[in-house]
Amino acid sequence: MAIKTFTTGEVLTAADTNEYLGNAGLVFVKSQTIGTTVSSVTVTSAFSATYDNYVIMISGGVASTDMNIRLTLGSTATGYYYGGMFAKYDGTNSSFTAGSNQSFLDIGYASVNALSGKGELDSPFLAKRTVLRSISTGTSTTYFMNNYAGFLDNATSYTAFTLTASTGTMTGGTISVYGYRKA
Amino acid sequence: MTRPKIQIDDLVREMTAEEHEALLATGWTEATDEAPTAD
Repeated sequence: MAIKTFTTGEVLTAADTNEYLGNAGLVFVKSQTIGTTVSSVTVTSAFSATYDNYVIMISGGVASTDMNIRLTLGSTATGYYYGGMFAKYDGTNSSFTAGSNQSFLDIGYASVNALSGKGELDSPFLAKRTVLRSISTGTSTTYFMNNYAGFLDNATSYTAFTLTASTGTMTGGTISVYGYRKA
Repeated sequence: MTRPKIQIDDLVREMTAEEHEALLATGWTEATDEAPTAD
């Protein structure tokens, strides 16, 4: 769609404003505030036919310890495949890694300082393989950053996802879901 | 023994025994003094 440009002094009409609002590429779907000392958070009604591709962002809050935040779709606990790299901030541990037929995909890291995570999901609602690309940044000096990509090896349509702590619990913070507008 | 809490949208509750077993099967631990590891 062509983008209208304006000249100095020209009137910005309601129609123009509404068109610009409707043309946003990344559209907010929903957010979920994380409760107190929970080991997992399920977000329902996150995916629908409205969008094919999504972004999940995790921010704020605290964790009880250094942890990975794991993503699962619906109630599926098997068939997750991933590869990527990680590096520990103190330089003592960095490597490439991969996982075959795992029970989750990593989407974030957390510490007593904050939760952090961002993942791009392709096709969770479509009856296709769901793909996740994630960048996780540990928020403590003793932890890691990683960059993973992976997929779920089935053709199931999902509307919900769950974030689970690899150890300990999470308190506070927000999970935000955005969809990429298709047209 | 109190089981971990689970959240579904705004509802926070204690896990059922079955949910707790499933969580433990993923390698989850309650301990907070273990060294972190990359998956």
